[in-house]
Amino acid sequence: MIWNETKECMSRDEIHKLQSVRLSKMVDRVYHNVEFYRKKMQQMGLEPGDIVSIDDLKKLPFTTKNDLRDNYPFGLFAVPQSEVVRIHASSGTTGKATVVGYTRKDIDLWQECVARVLAMAGVGPQDKIQVAYGYGLFTGGLGLHYGAENLGATVIPMSSGNTQKLITMMQDFGVTAIACTPSYLLHIAETLEEAGQINNIQLKAAICGAEPWTENMRKEIEAKLHLKAYDIYGLSEILGPGVAADCEYHKGLHVYEDHFVPEIINPDTLEPCKEGEVGELVFTTLTKEALPLFRYRTKDLTSITYDKCECGRTLARIDRFKGRSDDMLIIRGVNVFPSQVETALLEIAETSPHYMLIVDRINNLDTLEVQVEVEERFFSDEIRQLESLTKKIAHVLQSALGLSVKVKLVEPKTIQRSEGKAKRVIDNRKLI
Amino acid sequence: MIKQLSVFVQNEIGSLANVTSVLKDNMINLRAIASFDTPEFAILRIVVDQPEKAKEVLNAGGFAVKVTEAVAVELEDKPGELDGMFRVIADAKLGVNYIYSIVLRNGKVPLMIVNTEDLTKTASVLKEHGYIVAEQEDVNA
Ligand SMILES: [Zn+2]
Repeated sequence: MIWNETKECMSRDEIHKLQSVRLSKMVDRVYHNVEFYRKKMQQMGLEPGDIVSIDDLKKLPFTTKNDLRDNYPFGLFAVPQSEVVRIHASSGTTGKATVVGYTRKDIDLWQECVARVLAMAGVGPQDKIQVAYGYGLFTGGLGLHYGAENLGATVIPMSSGNTQKLITMMQDFGVTAIACTPSYLLHIAETLEEAGQINNIQLKAAICGAEPWTENMRKEIEAKLHLKAYDIYGLSEILGPGVAADCEYHKGLHVYEDHFVPEIINPDTLEPCKEGEVGELVFTTLTKEALPLFRYRTKDLTSITYDKCECGRTLARIDRFKGRSDDMLIIRGVNVFPSQVETALLEIAETSPHYMLIVDRINNLDTLEVQVEVEERFFSDEIRQLESLTKKIAHVLQSALGLSVKVKLVEPKTIQRSEGKAKRVIDNRKLI
Repeated sequence: MIKQLSVFVQNEIGSLANVTSVLKDNMINLRAIASFDTPEFAILRIVVDQPEKAKEVLNAGGFAVKVTEAVAVELEDKPGELDGMFRVIADAKLGVNYIYSIVLRNGKVPLMIVNTEDLTKTASVLKEHGYIVAEQEDVNA
């Protein structure tokens, strides 16, 4: 079902017009309310009146995650704090969180976008949906929750963690839809299989996101659970989940272009890529009030097409993600930068800065092992002391990353040294 | 007291052989060896005839090595000897962390290497009770 046919099936001309009007209004508002952007525009000799059409978008400055961090916590907000009704945050690269805010209208916009995603996945008021993303500062749980309520579905706010309880309620309530990470859904499927209960469920749709996954994973999920699985994309800086999602044809993720303008750029030259060419995805918000962003660099690599989809939607589609233009890892929905591990290890006197991250997927759950070299000056003859060091490192890393970590002490000089940029990550998850 | 080397090794195939081959290549003779393992790593404890040289060559081979003192007690090959030693240590209110032994000593009696939280006190109470505590020279030959 198409939730908002007017907006999702506009002609490209109408999209162009709508985006142009919204962009020029947005730039004017941001110029007068956000010092950071006003200064940037002034430095570039740019005035709000110079932006009259969506074609002028490329004149605007880029925004990066660093800009958000430099203006921590509320420096980029374009409204007085009294108009902000919600804050979300995600862990940042240096311990400082990336903080995002929403006005009442932003929340409305968010739940509109998520309702479109769910409707596209065939979910409606007759459905019972378990939201098994984490609730809290992470945008996944509450984002899906409000969207599903807006749609009129019956929402069961599971959050993440208790698989047994989730399965019991799934069966007892006759749950028909679920929103969670794809790897967690596979884990649920295996737990059901082991209990011989895989055919005792009524799921028909799954809305999966917050981590990269492959077409093969979709096929596996669909075959095991006899449902249709859909891909949802988003990032908290722009909105949270619901910036884009795929339809039943699975030919790329439709971007809600009436609110977010996608661009694909070459991450080195920053020049726009041709349609179909892989580059870094960049978003400009058109309607966000609390945290409007110009040309935010997502670091996600993909390509875009503007062809009309078989489903009838005219919205541009971004392809499955091809990776990242930086070294960020997504592990169980949590963003992890190797530099975070390094910073955390530096806080522990007994460790060396030589480390390696081993990411794997075991029983469909992502695991992170951090290998740390034992340094002779801190090496003790006692096993107890080495074990407590292991625990201490695991604890520090867990609180820095927001993710449980397995720590392995390794012999000195066994972690590869390199002349240039050290290789810090071995990702054994087969994603492509 | 004698010198003992503790070497950090990962619990992996061949990791013990990596240590022993470094010793062999440098003509260092092992007198005793004991491995204390956890699922992830092990501490290999060894007594050798040339402790300083052993540390040097193991360090050069990339190993983390700790040289510590160890109490090595001469025990005669008869029932009750070990029991007597443990009693002396227990009566002195000392806890044993680990023990291992040197059995082959060219006709001499075996040595029991014992680690407690207070090695000096352990050596002295044992001596008070008539036990012979070996010195490094005793294991060099
Ligand atoms: Zn479509």
